[in-house]
This record gives sequence, structure tokens and C-alpha cells, in this order.
Amino acid sequence: MADVIDPQSERNNIVVKLVVIALIMFGFGYALVPLYEAFCKVTGFGGKTDIIAEAAANNGVVSDRDVAVTFTSHSSSALPWEFKPITKGLDVKVGEVQEAIFYVKNYSNRPITGMATFNVTPPRAGFHFKKTECFCFTKQVLQPGEEQEMAVRFMLDSEMPDDVHELTLSYTFFDNEKYAGQ
Amino acid sequence: MSHAATAHDHDHDHHDHKPPFFQRWFMSTNHKDIGTLYLIFSLAMLFIGGAMALVIRAELWQPGLQFVDPHFFNQMTTVHALVMVFGAVMPGFVGFANWMIPLMVGAPDMALPRMNNWSFWILPFAFTILLSSFFVPGGAPASGWTLYAPLTIQGGMSVDMGIVAIHMMGISSIMGAINVIVTVLNMRAPGMTLMKMPMFVWTWLITAFLLIAVMPVFAGAVTMLLTDRHFGTAFFNPAGGGDPVLYQHIFWFFGHPEVYIMILPAFGIISHIIPTFARKPLFGYSSMVFATAAIAFLSFIVWAHHMFTVGMPLQGELFFMYATMLISVPTGVKVFNWVTTMWRGSMTFETPMLYAIGVVFLFTLGGLSGLMLAITPADFQYHDTYFVVAHFHYVLFSGAVMAMMGGAFFWLPKWTGHMYNETLGKIHFWLTAIFFNITFFPQHFLGLAGMPRRYADYPVQFTEFNQISSFGAFGLGLSQILFVYIIVATVRGGKKATAEVWEKPEGLEWTVPSPAPFHTFDEPPVVK
Repeated sequence: MADVIDPQSERNNIVVKLVVIALIMFGFGYALVPLYEAFCKVTGFGGKTDIIAEAAANNGVVSDRDVAVTFTSHSSSALPWEFKPITKGLDVKVGEVQEAIFYVKNYSNRPITGMATFNVTPPRAGFHFKKTECFCFTKQVLQPGEEQEMAVRFMLDSEMPDDVHELTLSYTFFDNEKYAGQ
Repeated sequence: MSHAATAHDHDHDHHDHKPPFFQRWFMSTNHKDIGTLYLIFSLAMLFIGGAMALVIRAELWQPGLQFVDPHFFNQMTTVHALVMVFGAVMPGFVGFANWMIPLMVGAPDMALPRMNNWSFWILPFAFTILLSSFFVPGGAPASGWTLYAPLTIQGGMSVDMGIVAIHMMGISSIMGAINVIVTVLNMRAPGMTLMKMPMFVWTWLITAFLLIAVMPVFAGAVTMLLTDRHFGTAFFNPAGGGDPVLYQHIFWFFGHPEVYIMILPAFGIISHIIPTFARKPLFGYSSMVFATAAIAFLSFIVWAHHMFTVGMPLQGELFFMYATMLISVPTGVKVFNWVTTMWRGSMTFETPMLYAIGVVFLFTLGGLSGLMLAITPADFQYHDTYFVVAHFHYVLFSGAVMAMMGGAFFWLPKWTGHMYNETLGKIHFWLTAIFFNITFFPQHFLGLAGMPRRYADYPVQFTEFNQISSFGAFGLGLSQILFVYIIVATVRGGKKATAEVWEKPEGLEWTVPSPAPFHTFDEPPVVK
């Protein structure tokens, strides 16, 4: 019979369980951050690109298939930098290592740390867009009035989907001062 | 349960003794009084949120800027939605839960009466904070109720006030949900097995689990926003390597179950009204229970249909499209069950029944436009247009809010001990239903023609439909004054209601006198 169970303790038992579920779900919200990161890495969702060592990149077989790569760039409205591609576009053979140059200038009268984010469109091509080196790998500091040319070296791997004939690599420079400690 | 035992002893001496005014209303632990407080709060918020909607509709009466500037317009759309979702609809249903669940399961009160008091009294403070954000520099949040990053990373201090308010509402909802679950699992009358529980109790039990599962996720999302804004984290800010689309995923992981949180209790109310006035038991009770559970489960795997246009992989779009369409199966089961309950019943059309039928009809229309939105390629056209606005008002207003109005008329005699004025009730239904359709039906056409949401201005070719919509909105708003009048008049007097109120209604709540005494079911009833 129900008399055997103390209803008070049964009640507290359920309450504790439900509070624990609520706390776990609060944590789950945070767990979505690394889960999403991992999801993007695995699927190339969001146009994330991959990294490859220079030596490995030069070892690949170069096919005669051409993909037209267009470069676009802009800087965040909060960042007084000019940022434009010098290399507007390239016809890249699948498997060969290529380089694109960007121009960047700090128009302000103070040194600013910037960080570039990037993506590839169509996103499913991003996974097969492999960079050997890029100015976006690290933070960039520009002194007042300083101008620079920055390079990205990359290759398209042989797995690049057959129906991708052109793709766009887009960069955005953001003011990174707020995150300077990281 | 010790408090039940004390209430029991205490009760035999003076049966309907109520504490003095301040203790009764401000320190209440009585489920009926707290239910009343929730319902009054919800009604007040309906008017505040409604007033903001009328500012929106006044501005959209004609193209160009007439009354408000675009920034204030954006504040109106944002706070209107936050107030309606978190202030009117959710507390309204918690009010119904407080009043009816103990009466329906034969319990003397909610399981955790002090927490019940606390979860209500958080709300007025939360909304004071939210609404006072209109008076800080930069005005209230103006980002849409979804508070999408990175826009909300840039806003003024009102965004922080909104975040604090959301945290408080979330805590209130979670406590309310815990209370419902413990009451339902632990305090049912002997003999009331889970599968004998009234539908309203079932829908609320499932809603409560949804609340506990997703409100904390939303709390997490806005906490990330807050730390992004002030403490140098970069969850959503691309400048630090964050991803704005991630916010949308987390938000809608909460946001989609949230829309079922707002509709499942409405389904419960409808499932009580229709059998009563069709004079037949609810058709397919167990399929109703399983359909509710199925809807709740599916609500967790469809969130990305709110963001088809962010650039998802094709497989993702297909998955979310099919999963979304799958929801129409259990929802269809429910609609067919309601219709079958009415089939060959001895139907009469008192006000609650009019509301119930109105909800079944209009909610289904909203479901249909939802199916249209679920079609990914079509959604690229409909996304962020007035078609979406029309869709969610059909499910939220003519679904959730009209179900609550019907429920209010249905149980008002039980709450107050008086019958409401049937003629005025019917007039209120027809005014509401007709003006609602005048307001929102034209918005389908506006959306299909490409008018985007959340703009204070529009091209001239949209003028006529907007004027019809604005006319309807003012009619709809003014009609609700009649609702308040009917309620106040019923509280004050009117024909005495019997314990049963209606003709042989089913449920334990009709076995207690009307008005329901301050303490009920001190001796648990036995359910056969």
C-alpha cells in the first residue's frame, strides 16, 4: 500500500530530480557550443575550412580540373581598416598549392589588433579547401597608418565535390582589442 | 503530507475561513488564490502587450512614418512579443494549472505551496524590470523577441534588463513546472491512475517536462549573451571567433518546444469543453495522451525550420522539413478526435463551446500555414514576412489565447459561484473571432506578396490589406474590454451556479460546490 512510502520524502525526491534535470539542461545549453563546433568541423557547415601542412599539400596529385576561386574581404564597421583582395580571383587546379594576397591598412591614429574570420561558399566546399598558411591563423597588429600585404596559401583537395566549379573565400577583419587577453 | 494534515485539522473548525486581505493575496499559499493572481496578471499583460500591438497597427495604417520612429516601432514589436509570450500566455496557463489541477486530481492543494507563492511573485518584478527598460537611454530591447546575436551584443543597457527579466521569468516557469509535476505524480486521489487523469492534467504534465527541459537552455543562451556583452567571452561575437548562427540554434532549441508549451495546455482545455457540450466522452482518450507526448518529443528535433535560410546543408534542410511535417500527424490525431467527439453528439453552443470550436477551426488554419512554412523551398519566400506573423498569430491567439478565454468562461462559474451573462459571452466570442480574422487573415496575403516583418514602413501597394488589418486590430483590442466587463460582472453577482454548472460534466472539479470553497478535497475523493 501507499502507506509504506513516506509521501514527504517521495515528494522531495521528485523535486531534487527535477532540479537536477533543470541544471543539466542549463549545462546542455553550454554543451551545444562545443557540439556545434564539432558538428561544423565534421560537416563543413558554415563554410569552415581545413588546415593542411605545406609538405603534405605539395605531395598531392595535381589534376587538370579547374575551380574558379573568388576572393572578397571587408572589415567590420567598428574597425577603421581598409581591407581588400589584391588577388581578385584565381583559376585553381585541384591539388595544386596557390597563394592569394590581400591589402590591409590601418587608417586610425592608434595601433589596433585585428582578427580575420572567414568562410567558403558554397559551404560544402569549405571542408575541401585546405590552407597551409593564412594571416587569419593569428591576430594581426597594425600600427597607426601602417599598411601591409597579407597572404593565404591554400589548396583544393581531390575530394572537392564534382559539381563545384566556382567558390568564394570571404574574409572579415574584426577589432580584437576586447579579446586581447586571449 | 504534513501540510495537508494540518489544513485538514484546521479546516473542520471553520470551513471557509479566509485570511485578511494582505495575507490572503500577498502571502498566499492557496492554489486557488495563486491561480487567480496568475490569471489577473496574465489578463493585465494581455492588455499591456495588446496596447503595444495597437501602436504597431496604428503606425502601419498607412505607408510612411506617422506616429512613432522606426526604433520605437522595433521596441514595440520586441516587447509586445516578450510580454505576450512570457507575461500573458505562459502565466495564464499556469493560472489555469493552479486552479484546476488540484481540483481535477482530487488534491487539497499544489504539492509545494510556498514555492507556488514565490514563482508567482517573481513575475511582477520581472515585468517591472522589462517594462521599465523603456525609460533607460536607448529605450527597450528592439531586436525582436528572439534577441538574435550579434544585434543584442550591441544594444544598450535595456538588453541587460531584458536578460535579467528573462532569467526571472525562467526561474518562475521552472518552479511552476516542478510544482505541477510533483502535484500530478504525488498527489492524485486514490484510484486515479495516470491513464484516468483528465486531459488538461496530462497536457500540463507534458508541458511541465518541456519547460524544465528548455527554459534552462534559454537561460544559458541569454547568459552567454550577457557574458559576450560584458565579460569578454565570444560565444556569438565573430570578432572573438564566435558564431552568430550558434545563437539561433540554441535559441530555437528552446524556442520550438516553447511554442508547444504555449499550445499543449490549450489542447487540454479544449479536450474538456468539447465533450461537455457534445455530451459525449472524449473520443480516443489514450490516443490524445500519446499524441501529446509525440508532439512534445518531435518539438525537440525540428528547431532549425526557423532558420532554413541561414545556409544549412541540403540534408539538414530535408531532415528538418520532414520532421516538421511529421508533427502534423499527432496534431491531426487530436483535431480528428475533437471532431469525432462532436460527431452525433447532443451539441449545444454555449460560449465555451463556441470558443472551443473556434479554436479547433482557426488553430487548424494556423497549422496549415505552418505546413506551408515547413516546405523548405517555399520557406525561402515566406521567411520573415507577414505570412509568418499571420501563421503564429493563428496558432497563438486563436489557439492559445482563445482557448484560455473559452476555459475562463467554462470554469468561471466554478471559480466565482455565478453564471456569466451568456448573451454577452456569445457577443464577445463573435467579436473576438471576427475581428481576429479581419486582423490576421489579410496578413497572409501581405506575406505572400513579400511584405517583411518588423518594419515601420511599407511600399504603397500593401496599403489596403494593412488598413483592413489595422481596423481589425483595434476592433479586437476594444472587444477585450467586454471580456473584462463580463468577468468583473460575474465576480460581483449573477445567477447562482450549481456544483455541476453544466449538464453532467465529467471531472472531480464539478463535485465541489460553486464557488469552489477555499479548501477542497481535505478528504481525498475515491476515483472508481
